[in-house]
Amino acid sequence: MIELKNVTLTIDNREILKNVSLSINKGTSTVILGPSGAGKSTILKAILGLIEINSGEVLINGANIFSLKNDELLRIRRKIAMVFQANALFDSLNVEDNVAYFLAYNSKLTSKQIKDRVDEVLSFVNLEGTQDLFPDQLSGGMKKRLAIARALATDPEIILFDEPTTGLDPINSKAVLDLINRLKAAGTTSVIVTHILNDAISIGDVLTVINDGQIVASGSVKEMLQSKNKFVKDFFYEIFQDITLIQTT
Amino acid sequence: MKPQRFNSFKNFLLHVHDFSSLLVEIIKNLPTVRKNHKETLKEMYVIGTQALLLAMLGGLFSGVILAIESGHSVEQFGATMLISRTVSLGIIRELGPAVCGLLLASRTGAKNTSEIGAMQLSEQIDALKAYGINPVEKLVVPRVVAAVLMFMPLTLIADATGIIGGMFVTTSTFHVDLVYFWTTAIKVLKFKDLFVGTLKPIFFSFFIGALSCYFGLNTKGSTTNLGKNAISSVVISAVTVLILDFVFTKVIWEIM
Ligand SMILES: Nc1ncnc2c1ncn2[C@@H]1O[C@H](COP(=O)(O)OP(=O)(O)O)[C@@H](O)[C@H]1O
Ligand SMILES: [Mg+2]
Repeated sequence: MIELKNVTLTIDNREILKNVSLSINKGTSTVILGPSGAGKSTILKAILGLIEINSGEVLINGANIFSLKNDELLRIRRKIAMVFQANALFDSLNVEDNVAYFLAYNSKLTSKQIKDRVDEVLSFVNLEGTQDLFPDQLSGGMKKRLAIARALATDPEIILFDEPTTGLDPINSKAVLDLINRLKAAGTTSVIVTHILNDAISIGDVLTVINDGQIVASGSVKEMLQSKNKFVKDFFYEIFQDITLIQTT
Repeated sequence: MKPQRFNSFKNFLLHVHDFSSLLVEIIKNLPTVRKNHKETLKEMYVIGTQALLLAMLGGLFSGVILAIESGHSVEQFGATMLISRTVSLGIIRELGPAVCGLLLASRTGAKNTSEIGAMQLSEQIDALKAYGINPVEKLVVPRVVAAVLMFMPLTLIADATGIIGGMFVTTSTFHVDLVYFWTTAIKVLKFKDLFVGTLKPIFFSFFIGALSCYFGLNTKGSTTNLGKNAISSVVISAVTVLILDFVFTKVIWEIM
């Protein structure tokens, strides 16, 4: 349902994305894995149409987002939500208004319906009772869960996660990964960008490895572990170390 | 990240181009201010509460200084009767709008740039765009409109405190009659003076609002760049106020 075809992006004479092709199927969770600076966030921004690419196509449900009229693009964008790496919470609004923000924008919902939906998604991410707090009163893990709640509020078909566990402690990371797995069980399509190998393995149906703006390899966890590609092998070396460790003890 | 300074002429032209596009978009989106009246009222309230005292102080001291300086230079010719004229015209036409403009450029300019810049760095602007909300409509237009609506009354208040300050000096130090001071101060003002005095703040505030939002939206990379952009915003807004002031004075003298 999301397809990138030969996407190329150059900024200031530097190739940020080189001929990137990628397809993401409905109901799956795809992990884009790579070192920092590889172009992972840029791919997400291209999917949202936040940056203009130099060549290639970004298709969502078969429609090229760069050739759509404004209102059609809007309709498609509303099916996609993004959880930003820095959370992008509105710091002048409280938790409830943050979640309600996009829900209330141009919608025909009554304020009762909005409030009920806000309560529902807050309880899904285990943030009941925080409605009146402000983002700077929340811990890092709570902020991330709030950002996920805000993304869920509009009931999107696709959710993009940019480094959802970066900077979180193991307990909070696990809570976020569990949330992503519960969303997958509910049929949501997710694209997760990360440089953390363990996370990628625990949530990804498909792993796509990217380095220096180029897709290096793509496939299931098992296929990646069997890959002969030098970069993939280097990237997965921790896992091989762990496996060797387990085998020798 | 490359440094966000005007490090070359080409860079400068690029900024001019981008800023012009922002101006066009602001003007195109002006009608959306009704839809976003809540944001606009909030910004008006913030400007009003935070800049009122500043405007009054700026106006007051401008009037006092103008009266002292002009008083001492005309005193030796026994022409202290002229002080009220100078104070009134000088404040309404020049000092009121210019001093207020410079104060607003720093107070409101720094506030807008740092607020919008922080939103840019924490990806809040991207979040708005991703949902199809135009940040110019939601963030820039309310701030520009609020500045334009609030700045004219603030300038008039600064003018009033300035003339009152001038009055105290003129009547106490130079012993000019109070009634004489007020009758000349008011009589000397022509339509042209009041027109220039109220038109200036409208233009100043429009550019201050737009420039400060431009520098905020242009914040990329790190918090260091946010600091740099806040400085650029204040400096360039202040210089713009001075240039616009000159252009106004020149053009008005030519055509009216
Ligand atoms: N707006 C931009 N201007 C210039 N360079 C950029 C911009 N956005 C990203 N880049 C560069 O593109 C590369 C990829 O960035 P990004 O997608 O953020 O990497 P990742 O998310 O994988 O860490 C980086 O080298 C970054 O410096
Ligand atoms: Mg990134």
